[in-house]
Order: sequence, then structure tokens, then C-alpha cells
Amino acid sequence: MDSGGLSFSNLTTKFETTMLRPTPEKTKTPSVPFKYRLVKAIDVAGLNFLTPVVRLCFGEEPRKQLKDIGLYIVIPILAMIFGVCGWFVVSEMVVTKSGKLPNPSETLAAAGSIWDFHVRENDKLSAFELTGAQRDARMAAVESRLKELEPLEEEINKEVTEEGKRAEERTQQRTAALEKKYDEVKKELDSAAEEREKALKAKSESIDKSDVDAKKAYIADVRKHRKALDVAKERLRDLKGRIKTLKDLKDDKLAAVLRKQTQIAEERQYLGKMKDQLTKTNRDLKVAGAKKKLDADLAAFYDAEPSKMYLAASKFVKGESRIEKLKSSEYAKPSTLPFQIKRSLLCVFVGFFIGTAIAIPLGIMCGLSKTVMAAMTPIVALFKPVSPIVWLPVCLIICSAMIPDPDKHFFTQWMWNLPILGKYQINPAFLASACTVALCSLWATMTNTALGVASVDEDHINVARVLRLGFWDRLFKIVLPSALPLVFAGLRISLGVGWMVLIAAELLSSSEGIGKYVWDQFNNGGSRSFANMVVVVFVVGIIGLILDRMMVVFQRLVSFDESPTAV
Amino acid sequence: MSIALRNVLSVALLIATSLCLSNVVQAQDKQLLDLEKDSLKFGFIKLTDCAPIVIAKEKGFFESEGLQVDVIAQPNWKTLLDNVITGELDGAHMLSGQPIAATIGFGTKAHVITAFTMDLNGNGITVSNAIWEAMQENDPALQSETPPHPITAASLKPIVQEKLDGGEKLQMGMVFPVSTHNYELRYWLAASDIHPGMYTKSDIGGRTDAQVELSVTPPPMMPATLEAGNIQGYCVGEPWNQAAVAKGIGVPVTTNFDIWKNNPEKVFGVTKSWSDENPNTHLAVIKALILAGKWLDETDEAGNLTNREEAARILSRSDYVGADFDVIKNSMTGFFYFQKSDKRAMPDFNVFFKHNCTYPWYSDGVWFLTQMRRWGQITEPKPASWYDEMAKEVYKPEIYLKAARMLVEEGLLAEGDIPWETDGYKAPTSDFIDGLTYDGKKPLEYLKAHEIGNKE
Repeated sequence: MDSGGLSFSNLTTKFETTMLRPTPEKTKTPSVPFKYRLVKAIDVAGLNFLTPVVRLCFGEEPRKQLKDIGLYIVIPILAMIFGVCGWFVVSEMVVTKSGKLPNPSETLAAAGSIWDFHVRENDKLSAFELTGAQRDARMAAVESRLKELEPLEEEINKEVTEEGKRAEERTQQRTAALEKKYDEVKKELDSAAEEREKALKAKSESIDKSDVDAKKAYIADVRKHRKALDVAKERLRDLKGRIKTLKDLKDDKLAAVLRKQTQIAEERQYLGKMKDQLTKTNRDLKVAGAKKKLDADLAAFYDAEPSKMYLAASKFVKGESRIEKLKSSEYAKPSTLPFQIKRSLLCVFVGFFIGTAIAIPLGIMCGLSKTVMAAMTPIVALFKPVSPIVWLPVCLIICSAMIPDPDKHFFTQWMWNLPILGKYQINPAFLASACTVALCSLWATMTNTALGVASVDEDHINVARVLRLGFWDRLFKIVLPSALPLVFAGLRISLGVGWMVLIAAELLSSSEGIGKYVWDQFNNGGSRSFANMVVVVFVVGIIGLILDRMMVVFQRLVSFDESPTAV
Repeated sequence: MSIALRNVLSVALLIATSLCLSNVVQAQDKQLLDLEKDSLKFGFIKLTDCAPIVIAKEKGFFESEGLQVDVIAQPNWKTLLDNVITGELDGAHMLSGQPIAATIGFGTKAHVITAFTMDLNGNGITVSNAIWEAMQENDPALQSETPPHPITAASLKPIVQEKLDGGEKLQMGMVFPVSTHNYELRYWLAASDIHPGMYTKSDIGGRTDAQVELSVTPPPMMPATLEAGNIQGYCVGEPWNQAAVAKGIGVPVTTNFDIWKNNPEKVFGVTKSWSDENPNTHLAVIKALILAGKWLDETDEAGNLTNREEAARILSRSDYVGADFDVIKNSMTGFFYFQKSDKRAMPDFNVFFKHNCTYPWYSDGVWFLTQMRRWGQITEPKPASWYDEMAKEVYKPEIYLKAARMLVEEGLLAEGDIPWETDGYKAPTSDFIDGLTYDGKKPLEYLKAHEIGNKE
């Protein structure tokens, strides 16, 4: 990306010098005051809200600057605070059967525990590889922490049982009145029904056998009785429902104690595994053990009789190769959210570059030639509205078919052995997600490029004609530079679309990444999953924001209205 | 090797032994296999019965065989199977029916085998609160906090009929067309004379003649789908029945232990080609899984399961099953909540080792084949010998026994834990909700005994 940006700005400078723009003094004077350079830099970076602060620091029109600060900094901050407060209030009101909507502090706690998980998995990885004195020191630390935890765990377990009992009592207290009422009402209704039934039965005896009217009336009475029964049933059901709702209410105090218990138990679990990683599953110790065995094998080989020499020798050689394997073995670390974020970013950029590589040349051709434009229009119009959910299965089938056995396919093997990319395990699901991103995001770049190329100033074209520039010169010196701002506007939209599409694509293809994380959390349905998902909302939002700002900077760097040399 | 280096090594070993005496001794006794592949990827679905794989990883059973294993959650059974077939995964926690169906070509065709049964029982049938109330009205015996078990679908029958009269069909969920859950739910319904529908050549949804329509929903999605009202009941593994109780959205009416006592549930499946290419790795994996199953079923003198609480804690991690600890704990520690007020002891709700659970029985394979035939997934009648042949294509006790033999030699397993002499067929049993007898050697007689479904 960097080198791309650089060459674009080179292009523009070249363009400026050839075209002799009307305001050359501004860029060429070396002694632009620091203030203006700073303001310009802020502007290019798209952080305009900082401008009044800078100007205020230089003492320029304090009243106006203060007003601007109020408008662009204080008001957004107030809005944020208001939003957070509103979130606190709303979270109390949104109660689902999967738990309450997490409030900001719970969300923060969830982010903390996601980070803890990441740190702990990294610890396990490093413990696996630790050797010698370092390992001993780590082991001592782990054991002392385990000792500290023991009484804490006992205490919290006791607390949980007690709080559980208390919670039960609280529920009983809550429902006691209603349950009493239910019993009373049921008794009342039952006895009323019984009486009615008795009365009806009694009445039947007084009806004359041939009295049709009386019999009809009797039927009406029975009907009434049945209706009353239904009404009673409905009333009881309603009461029961209310009792159930009260019973199902989550007990906050109990939940808090349980959370604490989970925290301690999880730490214990982690320390237990750490102990294993530092002792019996530690790589170094395993290698040492294997080496000792190898020595024994070697000794056995030297002592072996000729008839058994072959067996003993092959045992030794096998042992040797096992040690080699052990030495290069790595702890199978589960994917943590930070890793998934990095993989998602990689995926979105792969998709974005594939899309751009298709979109820009096509866009330029469309812009240059009305014929191509006419030919492409129906195709673009047809595929542009297709949703990522439709593209993904298609891409998945194609990518999986092209790489039938990723464990042995040369492409994936090559990818997995690359130094940095290797650890991201690029597989068909990843490629399918990237292709989906490309297919959904290329349209914005393509149409904007076509528009930019088609709307180059007539004067510039005429100048090119006068200068008798060839096709390539015209393309690279006139057309592209003046189309660049629009191209970048398109790229910005594309990247935004791509980021949104990617999460959905990962969710469906279960390609390791943010989307899969969200889906796994949704599937977990635990008391913490909801808060974890809200954390991801912010992660996705912040990353999207950063990507967008990045594209804004590129866009400003290549537009003519601003002098790019200011940065 | 130089003397100095030896000294250094022996010092290092001394430290090691002082740190973990027993473990090192144990590791020395192990017969480490010549592994073709030492870093593996296994898939699982978020269900408590994935425990053997997770425990083998977390408690170091895989590592002591020299394996590093990534355990990756899969979104649904179809993706899981596809990933195993394409080689994206080395092996996976599978429904018993999946290797069989893949091998005979119902759905995706591929030769998938299993040498390890992961667990017995572990499923439940849950209905929505409204259906439960209606069932209670139909059968006054159910109107209690602790109704008598087993509950049959007899009290559901009038509801089904009422819906049919109104031009509607009751909708229920199961997890996969060849899942144990599908067959159990069908068995439960058919035992009370409710027709769950037939599969035919043109109807691969299995709804021909159905009185209750069954549809596929991934296990973790079940509670949400029930809550959304798309289905009125479902059959799924744990923790998704206990989750319905915890969230107050449904009532488990029966477990599969009541439908068929100690029925086979999940298996560990790999493709035949993977097993052929990595025979030693496969053995090492089976060794680790057997030990994990044994660890899970360890009991103290009083017969209480000692390791299940820790297992539940591990499974509740969000990269494994991820449901709340107390929800997972309910069924894992030998209890089951039928309602919040109805907690019952069910020591055999999850079996991971007892009753020769881990052995891959041919008779289990034959039972699934009979169910596939009964409901029309196998479209043509087959001779009895075919059932035996197909079961032998998929179930590989020879690999299992080889792994178990190594464990016995290493002193990690008792000789008596493994049925060495069996021909692979369990003794005939009539532990079914309808009392019919199943003999794996007589599949055709078993088919004939049922009222609903194909009889040959």
C-alpha cells in the first residue's frame, strides 16, 4: 500500500510540473510556517477536529477556536457519554432468555477475559518451549500461585452453595404470594365447577322426558358450564405463567458469585495445564527423555548379537528421527481473538487486492471507450446487487474443488511454508471468503474509476493532443492522475463494503476469523457469550473506522486541491 | 556422545525426575509409535460428548503419544463431514450414522471408517412449554413436578391429530438426516403410532406421509430455533436440553436412555485413505482417546464420577462447548434436570468407557443400517449379509484392539477392560421403549417387527 501511495504522489508532482499549475509558489516556498504545515497534515490525515486545538495553541482567534472546539470535540464527547449512559439504562431493560443485554462495564470485563484467554494461551505456548533455569523459575511461580488459589477456591465454592440456597429462598419469597393465590384460586374454581356440575346433574332429573325445550335449555346450560371451565383454565394458566416468569428471573447476586467462581476455576485450569507444559509435555524434557532412551538403544545395539543387530539398529535410527520430530514440534495453540482479527484483516486485504486488480483495469477501459462501457453495463448491473450470502457457497465449492486435499496440495503447502503468511493457514475457506469479498467490493471501484476516467477535463485532453502524447503517456500522465481522486473514493467504498462482507463470509464458511468467533459465541449460548459478541461489535467497528481513515488519507494524498507535499 | 554431554543430560534428567517423577517413569514405559504425522486437526461440534477429544488434548493424552492436536469447532455436521472428506481435518467427532451413510453413499459419498465409539446415550427430546402443557392436559399423570418416566409420545398423539385436523403439521428438529437423534426421535414417535415420514428417492427431506415433520437444525441452534417458534420440539445432545431448562423455554420429556438403554452415540471418524496412509498415527490417536474415555469415567469407591466436574469446567471454555459450567455440569456429573424442579440422578446419562463403550461394535453399525432402511434412506431391500458386510466396512475393531493391546502392555489399561474375544456383535437386547428385541445378526427380523416403516 505504501509504495503504491508513493508512486501516486510522484505522479502528481510530475503532473504538476508539466502542467504548470497556477499556484506553484505555495508548494515551492520552503518557509511555510510550522502551524500551517501542521494544520495541513491534520487535514490530510482526516483528523480535522484537531485543527481548532492547534490554532488555539498558536493563539489564533481564541473565541472562534473555542467555539469550534465546543462543536467538534466537546459535543461529540458529550454524545458519547450520553450514549454510554443510555446503554446502561437500555441494558437493564432488554432482558432475554439468554440473559440481559450486557452493559458497558460487563462488556469491558468480557474484553478483559478475551484478552486473558489470549495471554494464557501464549503462556502455554512459551511454557512448552521453556528450558533449564527459566523453566524452573516459571514452575515455581506457577506452583506458588496454585497454592494461593487453593483456599480462595474453597471459599468461593462454599459461597456459591450458600448463595445458591439464598437465591432459592429469594425465589420462593418472590413467588410465595402468587403460589398461594394460585392454590386459592384453583380451589375456588374447582369447587365452583364441582357445584355447577352437581347442580346440572340434579337438574337433569327434574326434566321431563318429552320436554324438548327444557332439554335444549339444558344443553345451553352445559355449554355455559364448559365455557366457564375454559375461562377458569385460562385464568389458572395465566397465574402459572406469572409464577414461571418470576421463577425464571436471573438472580444477580448468584450470577456474580458464579462469575467469580468461574474466574478462579479457569485460572486453576490454566495453571494445571501450565504445570503439564512445564513438566511432562515440555518439549525440552521430552527431548531429554528421548535422548536417554536413544543412548540405551545405542548401548543395546553395541551389545546386540549379529542376528539382532538389524532390529537394534533400526530401533536406534527410528529413535533419532523421533528426536528430530520432537525438536521441531510446536504446541497446538487454539485460535484466540487477536489472531482471528489478524487473519480477518489479511483476508479482507487479499480480497480487496483481487477486486482492485480486476476493477481498475476494467474501469479504465469502460471510461476510455463508450463501446466497452456499453458492453459492460448489463454485466455490472446484473452482478452488482448479488449478495455475499449467494456468492459464498459458489466460491466455496469452486475453491474446495480447486484445492482438493489442502494437506497435500502444492499451493497450500507452499503457502503454509511461507515465513509470515504460513501461520495464517491459508485454506480453501479463506480463499473463498477472500473471493467473496472481491466479488462484492469490486463494483464501487469499477464504476468510480470509469466515471473518473470518463470525466477528465476536456482542456487537459486538448493539451495532451497539442503535446502529441502517445496513448500510454496520455493514460499515465493525464487520464489517471486526474481520475485518481475518484478511483480512491471508489477504493474507500470498496474496502468498507469488503470489511462488512468478510464478517458474513467467515461466519458462513467457518474460516478462522472474526466472523467465526461471533458465530461460535452465538452457538455457545453461555452467560458470557452475549458480552463477548458486544465486544466484537466494537472491535469490528473500530477496525472498520481505521481502515476508512486510512483510505481517506490516501484519497487526500492524491487529490489536486490540496498540496500533498505538506505531509 | 561425549562424557560431558552425558553429564549435562543426566543432570537435566535429574531435574526432570525430581519435578515429576511418576510422569517421566510413565513416559519411559510408553511404546511411542513411529508417527507419520504429528500435528493434527480434529473437528468437533459443540456438544458435551466431544469430551474424549477435548480431554485427550487438555489432559495431555495426545501429547504423551507425541501428537499435537488442534481441536476446531465446526458449525454443523455437514461442514464437519465435508472437511474430513476434503482433508481439511484429519478426523472428527462424528454421528454414528455419518461414516455409515458416507460409505454406502447416502449424502456425500466417501469411505469413512471408525475404530472408536466415543460415548453412549447423552441425548434428550425437548418440547416447548406450550406442547408440554398440552401433553399434561392429555395425560393427568404428567401433571406433577416429578412425573413418572419413561414418558412416551402417547400424550403427544392427540396434539398431532389436532394439528393435522387444522391442516397443520407439528414441526420438530433434529440435527442431521443420518443422526442418532433423527432415528431416536422417529423411534419415539413411531412407538406411539405417530408417523414421522419416510425418505424416498425423490423425497430426501423424509416427509412423505409424515404426521410430524422433522427438519435439520445444528445442535447449538436448537434452543434459539425453538424459542423463535420454528419448531415445537427437538431431539439433541447435551448441553442443549439443559440449556432449554436453564432458559425456561422448553421441557425435556425423555432421554435416549429411556428410548434405548446404553445406545451408541458418537464415533471418532476418519477417512479410510487417511487411516491407510497414517496407520501408526491412527493407532496413537485411538490410544489417547481410550485413555481419555477412561479418565472421564473414573469413579471413587462410592461409585461417584470423580473427574466429571473438571471435565465440565474444561468443556465450558468458550473455544470448546462454551455453555455455562453449571449447565454442562448438570448432565455430565450424572444428573439431569427435566424441569427446574425435577432433578433426577442419571449416572449413565453420559457413558464414555463403562459397558465396553469405546469398542466399535458391528451390531451398532447394523442397527443404524436397519434404521436407514426402515425410514427409506436405503431405498432397496437388502439381504442380511449386506448389513454385516457394510458394518465391517465401517467399524474397525482390529485397529481398536491393537491400540488397546499396546495400552495394556504399557500398564495403562487393565486386561479385563476390553472385550478381546467378541465377534463384534453385542448380545440381543430388548432395552427399548417399545420392548422389541434387537439382535444385530438378524436385521431383517428386526425390521419386520416394527409397525411403521419399511419392513424388509
